[in-house]
Amino acid sequence: MRESAVHYDTVSKQARKKKIVKRSTIYLILFLFTIVNAYPIFWMIMNSFKTGQEFSFDPFGLPDEWVFTNYVEAWVTANIGSYFFNSLFVGIVALLICILVGAFASYFLSRFQFRGRNMLYGFFVVGLLVPIHATLVPMFILMQKLGFLNTHLALIFPYVAFNLPITIFLLTSFMSSFPKEIEESAIMDGCGPFRIFWSIILPMSRPALATAVILNFINNWNEFSFALVLINDKALSTLPLGLANFAGEYTTNYTAQMAGLTLVLIPTILFYLIMEKQIVNGMTQGAVKG
Amino acid sequence: MHLLKKPWIIAVGVIPALTIYLIFSIVPIFISFYYSFMSWNGFSEMQFIGLANFKEVFQDSVFWVSVRNNILVVLASVFGQIPIALALALLLNRKIKGAKFFRTIGFMPVVISTVVISITWRMIYNSEYGMINNFLEAIGLGFLQQNWLGDPTWAMVAVCMTIIWQFVGLYFIIFLSALQTVPSEILEAADLDGASEWQKTIHVVLPSIWNIILISIVLCISGSLKTFDLIFVMTSGGPANSTEVMATYMYGKTFEGLRYGYGSAISVLIFVFSIALILITTKLLRRREVR
Repeated sequence: MRESAVHYDTVSKQARKKKIVKRSTIYLILFLFTIVNAYPIFWMIMNSFKTGQEFSFDPFGLPDEWVFTNYVEAWVTANIGSYFFNSLFVGIVALLICILVGAFASYFLSRFQFRGRNMLYGFFVVGLLVPIHATLVPMFILMQKLGFLNTHLALIFPYVAFNLPITIFLLTSFMSSFPKEIEESAIMDGCGPFRIFWSIILPMSRPALATAVILNFINNWNEFSFALVLINDKALSTLPLGLANFAGEYTTNYTAQMAGLTLVLIPTILFYLIMEKQIVNGMTQGAVKG
Repeated sequence: MHLLKKPWIIAVGVIPALTIYLIFSIVPIFISFYYSFMSWNGFSEMQFIGLANFKEVFQDSVFWVSVRNNILVVLASVFGQIPIALALALLLNRKIKGAKFFRTIGFMPVVISTVVISITWRMIYNSEYGMINNFLEAIGLGFLQQNWLGDPTWAMVAVCMTIIWQFVGLYFIIFLSALQTVPSEILEAADLDGASEWQKTIHVVLPSIWNIILISIVLCISGSLKTFDLIFVMTSGGPANSTEVMATYMYGKTFEGLRYGYGSAISVLIFVFSIALILITTKLLRRREVR
């Protein structure tokens, strides 16, 4: 009796030991992953507060003395302020147009029966497969012909066009889930289709709209290739383009480059931390469903 | 769902979106087909030259390097991002302290602009001041130091590492949310049968999220075909064309070489290549699904 109890005890001790080893390995791996993900960014932010000299002999530690000259340099010479404005302006205008026309089209695609409806929907969604950079050269030629080169319009239209497929996809599938009784009483009250769209369907689609807005904004905010090809004027550059140019000019001034990057990165990370749930939902949903 | 008596209202609703979409997403593809048969430097008279552009592309060895690199990026993404993300998601899919923290940091690179990532990693790879060489030196492995982006043998490896780093988080979160849909009754039943965690993973968990894994592979392929920004900013295709992908090759020929016809021909090839690869993979994966 007693012997077996002792035996049982050692077995459970062994099992517990095994469990502890397993748990710590899991934590160790997850921790390593976190370091690999976060350290490059931390490294950059830390070094942006160092003088060039300190960076070259101590690139790992915290700054001995926190210097802000890099930031002054990045803000003044790189003109980051104006890039910020351009990115915000282009991003928001494109987003508003895309959501408005996208929601309007989705309303008709989801709530009405008409010939060619499925084909039209399919035609919009196929746009998800169009590789953006296969359109760079023709887009340049097209914008040249339209006289839009080097204006904000040259970015706004492609941004709308390339975000429409995912926007229509998300909104149509959301709007078609509403029961049809929703419109019926409104029609009895004499509401027209535009009124129904504006005061019933649109407010009800708020969750899907939020996802679409966030996806649109992040895509526009980070977009680089169209800006590179279609904008050739520093005063009109968006942030990604301006930053790439700045880094190209200041190739050897690493700490100033890092300050410029940090200025761009901080708002993105804050936005991400505040809206994490919606952003993650939007990006993974958009990805998996698309 | 209802029918309208006045069909023109539907037209009013759909036409704004359709017009923008057509002009700025579909028409450019046709434009590039048209210009691919031309010789044009943007200023002078255009000249019809038939298939000469395509013939020249196929004879240019740099183009084939760029095709090879595009395929390398796809392979690195599929065999790097997906397995790492899956393993991490399986590890995190249990009661763990700080799970939310791991998720938040895990997804973070996905929201950061590619240009920021490219410039940051360019500095990380810097041969003199970069984080990697400094780190190798600090742990006594200085002999492993390389001029990561300056050496044609290492540049493509370095670029692929960054691409994997950028998107592991996306698939990590996709897999995590898929894992949460695995029915707990089946897992409990497997527990009662005395299945080990490994057996449960292989026989229960993976089969039930298999569809999401397949979707992620397709996504990963189509996403990695879009690689342009990252390589353009990190190396602009260099050194000695060793990191050229089709899109950077096209950019160089068109906007630096001012050959719009030739660039259009490459655009057409990028389009055909991307669509073909996506169609083939969806078909292959679907066939396996039926079995």
